[in-house]
Amino acid sequence: MIDREWIVKKTLFVLAMITVLGIILIIFFVARESVPAFTEAGPANLFSATWNPQSGQYGMLIFLAGTLATTVGGLLLGTPLAIGSALFLTQMAPRRVRSIATRGVELLAGVPSIVLGWLGFTVMVPWIRSATNSTGTGVLAASIILAIMVIPTIATISKDALEAVPESHIQAALAMGATRWQMIRRVLLPAARPGLLVAIILGMGRAIGETMAVALVIGPATAFPTSLTTPTHTMTTKILIEMGESTGVQRSSLFAMGLVLLLLAMLLILLVRAVTRQREAAR
Amino acid sequence: MTKKRLSLIMAVSLAVALALMLAAAGCGDNSEEPAEPEKPALSGTLELSGSTTVLPLAQEAADMFMDENPDVTVNVQGGGSSVGISNVAEGVVDIGNASRGLKDEEKDLGLMDHEIALDVIVVIVHKDVPLEGLTADQVYNIFTGKVTNWKDVGGPDQTINVVVRDEASGTREMFDEKALKKEVPMAGAIETNSNGIMRQTVSSTPYSIGYISLGYLDSSVKALEYGGVEGSKETAVDKTYPLSRYLHMFTKGSATGLAEAFIEFVLSDEFQNEVVAEEYIPMTEI
Repeated sequence: MIDREWIVKKTLFVLAMITVLGIILIIFFVARESVPAFTEAGPANLFSATWNPQSGQYGMLIFLAGTLATTVGGLLLGTPLAIGSALFLTQMAPRRVRSIATRGVELLAGVPSIVLGWLGFTVMVPWIRSATNSTGTGVLAASIILAIMVIPTIATISKDALEAVPESHIQAALAMGATRWQMIRRVLLPAARPGLLVAIILGMGRAIGETMAVALVIGPATAFPTSLTTPTHTMTTKILIEMGESTGVQRSSLFAMGLVLLLLAMLLILLVRAVTRQREAAR
Repeated sequence: MTKKRLSLIMAVSLAVALALMLAAAGCGDNSEEPAEPEKPALSGTLELSGSTTVLPLAQEAADMFMDENPDVTVNVQGGGSSVGISNVAEGVVDIGNASRGLKDEEKDLGLMDHEIALDVIVVIVHKDVPLEGLTADQVYNIFTGKVTNWKDVGGPDQTINVVVRDEASGTREMFDEKALKKEVPMAGAIETNSNGIMRQTVSSTPYSIGYISLGYLDSSVKALEYGGVEGSKETAVDKTYPLSRYLHMFTKGSATGLAEAFIEFVLSDEFQNEVVAEEYIPMTEI
């Protein structure tokens, strides 16, 4: 009697459309809320280096710099560890070790960021503080926390990318007398490179938007990072700290900061799409 | 086609029926509210706007007031002290909240001042700082970055870690105005967005200095005398200690009706001793 397939199809279609609508609404809302910042403060003000709402200055450059510095720092620390462990898991680990280590990496992905941030604040920051005779908060502390957070993302996707390299390539290289290291460096890594890139970009996406953990260990202070251990700010932490009590143009400028962050994240996703397409075209 | 149409109609009518049932259930829950007409029942809507420092206090009062008077709606908005004062003067809201007194140009607007709490700010340092007090000039120099080492103010040879409140904070606004002569704090000062986090940061960062509402002071940090005067209820009330301010609610003319009842509630012993006393000095103790 009732065409079940038709109902299922339409239901799924509606659900998918709701998701798309949600994304459009988010972008629309954030953009609308940041309009006053662009009309009243102006782009030149918004992209300056002075944040001082009392005197009408809403520059976000300090926060943009902090966001980029901590993200790059997190990736520099996290990527070698993540790809290294993916290589170990796919190429060298005995089967039993492999399954345990894989579970471990998956578990690491499940640790809530606030827990990592709190550990960072109560354990790691005091270490850095006594080792460097500074406040201990700043880009270094945030980068270490972010590295821990991006490792599961990058390691898992890298592992898939490495496993997707055809076994025949590896066997051929080994048959020609290549050592294991030569095979990895000359055959495996180049063949898996688009997949590894996707992994790093997705890790970057995770690092760029992280708020809670970073907020606890970044400082925070409205100043450019002059060294790895001076307090600074990121866009997410500035929004977190000032959104609650801000009004008017200041609030709108925080939304403008959110918009820039959103656009950065979308840019990253477009990058992933481009890289993936390139990989599919190469096959 | 007809089959598809039929099933679509069925699906839609099922959804509508479900929605109606849910709505009906929702109405049922609300109608069971017990009515206790002890006092003459108040009803209507009360609008407040203004200072974000007063906002949490006013919101708490609004929630409790609405619990006691189910027919009353109290809307509280932020906007800042100036917004609250101009709103109430223009009749946009019934009560304007402010964390400062009236400026000269605001004094002939015909506003009635209701002081609802006294906020005292004390300068605090990490326990490893062997000082008991700082002069007003020393505090000014430290927070504006003109002095960056404790040895310049009679302490050990250590860099000063300055901790301030965030840009949107009313406490910071007051501190900047009274202690920093309206200058901005040094770049690189650590920012915190509440009294609690300020205390936590100063207590865990060696050689740090910050400021906090008196109500939040505990033994994890050390309070300094400011210009030779200890910040306390007594010194704030007799005005020998400068870093204090009243929180205000303004009404256009004397408060009437709902506004009067609400301010009475805010000033009641119950609200002052249970809510205001958690963070500020209640009016009942002044």
